[in-house]
Amino acid sequence: MRRIAELARLRISAREETTFASQLSEIVDYIDQLREFDNGAASLEDSDAASDAADNDIPRPADAAGPADREGPTLLDQFLDNAPASLDRFLLVPQVKATPGGDE
Amino acid sequence: MQPATAEELAAAIRSGERNAVDTVEAAFARIDEVDGSVGAFLELWRDEATERAAEIDSRRDEGLPLGPLAGVPTALKDNLSLAGHELNCGSRILAGYRAPYTAGAVERLVAADAVPVGRVNMDEFAMGSSCENSALATTRNPWNLAMAPGGSSGGSAAAVAAAEVPLALGSDTGGSIRQPAAFCGVVGVKPTYGRVSRYGLVAFASSLDQIGPLARNVRDAALALGAIAGPDPRDSTCSEEPAGDFLQPIENGIEGLRVGTIREVRTSALAGDAARGFEQALEALARCGAELVEVSVPLIETAVATYYVLANSEASANLARFDGSRYGHRAAGARSLTEMYTGSRSEGFGPEVKRRIILGTFALSSGYYDAYYGRAARIAGALRQQFTEAFEQAELLVTPTSPGGAFRLGERVDDPLAMYLSDVFTTPTSLAGIPGISVPCGLDSRGLPLGLQILARPFADGTALRAARAFERETGFECRPEPVP
Repeated sequence: MRRIAELARLRISAREETTFASQLSEIVDYIDQLREFDNGAASLEDSDAASDAADNDIPRPADAAGPADREGPTLLDQFLDNAPASLDRFLLVPQVKATPGGDE
Repeated sequence: MQPATAEELAAAIRSGERNAVDTVEAAFARIDEVDGSVGAFLELWRDEATERAAEIDSRRDEGLPLGPLAGVPTALKDNLSLAGHELNCGSRILAGYRAPYTAGAVERLVAADAVPVGRVNMDEFAMGSSCENSALATTRNPWNLAMAPGGSSGGSAAAVAAAEVPLALGSDTGGSIRQPAAFCGVVGVKPTYGRVSRYGLVAFASSLDQIGPLARNVRDAALALGAIAGPDPRDSTCSEEPAGDFLQPIENGIEGLRVGTIREVRTSALAGDAARGFEQALEALARCGAELVEVSVPLIETAVATYYVLANSEASANLARFDGSRYGHRAAGARSLTEMYTGSRSEGFGPEVKRRIILGTFALSSGYYDAYYGRAARIAGALRQQFTEAFEQAELLVTPTSPGGAFRLGERVDDPLAMYLSDVFTTPTSLAGIPGISVPCGLDSRGLPLGLQILARPFADGTALRAARAFERETGFECRPEPVP
């Protein structure tokens, strides 16, 4: 489970690991009943029931930068307002390449 | 006396008999009076709502036409975007996030002149059946404050049941509108997948999520669904067919309509009060002139397991975006990007969200993909096919909404599987993409509401509403929770 949590970018405490392990194993046991119902036939992925409207792919202004004379904050302003850290028009994040001793 | 319905309020505001401003102020007064004990609202938008109401009144005074929901105070679930307002999805990880745009369904609601008055509580990222997974507040069932309101749209259902607002929007992925509606004695509609735009709804499981209304009666739910349904090019899964008027044919009754019960439902989890309530509901449907038939949907018993694989797989992908880089909570002191991701997510997500992400990641992981995700997708396809065949024998299908009435707060928090099993009758509908309505069908022996679930063919939402209305007329249920008179 530690490996799956790592893949999901989650750190779990020792206490969480114990609780989750027993809860998840009960859930997975329950899910395993599906084995006897799987005849390998129809798949949801083959089904056409969900409508999937295609867009006309015509360029539209994204309002990302916004015209200079537009009133109020642009989408980009609002996007950056939501960011935990930014500099000019960019998001700030820690360095991508891990420091020695960091994970991965 | 029952509080005025959304339909009555809008008509009175349109005719000038009452003002939108007074109506909105009355809603806030009611919220101030009872929400301390109910705990439905996370935030109130008093100034903006009053301004919007004043603007509606002045348009009317100028002789301009008003929309079908003119001045109706409406609550929004905390996963629906309203530009400029905070949106948390019941989670700490989205603390401080402000929606930069408005959801398609909310835009339509406002275009119909409804007045959003605030956002209401929900299970974190809509994962839960009791509202207890909210990291932000505890919501109580207005019928008994020691009971759960249901979930995940528990705040929406509780606010409507407590007569704080006549109308709320919720979202339903595996029962999140219908089950809380049943627990709180109100009407909840999960429309056909694709009937309502999901643009601006924070995604949980994109192949299942759908927005819908909760109201005190079927006519109000139909009015609201008519307002929010319809095409939206910003959601590619949204049907291009116009929605039409759900209210106009709603009184036409169900004389001669074939209504099917599902054999596997009647023989399975159904017992006690829920079984008795369901049998009485069938008698009421027969008195309405419905022809009761029995159909078989054998795979229905696989729905909970199938649902939890598919929904959590999709959730594990959809929730990957919450990593501390663009919005919400960021862990302090991370030395690398990976550390920031892991730290932010671990601090920001609550235990149920973590469990589900882990389960979904497992189901999609190399070596397990076909045995879990692949298998669940195959079974969901077969289940959908079985529903299609069942609908050849009946125009509508009915089940109880939930295997029982509301359970006690705290009762199931440590037993996720028991919590999941309360979705046994709602998840099949979600997997099949069909519309499902929960309409109150009386009280159990503890005095708590039970719900009847009415299912219809894809895009026959109107037929389900018509049946719900006939049933409501026949049974005359009144939402009068004693703790919040």
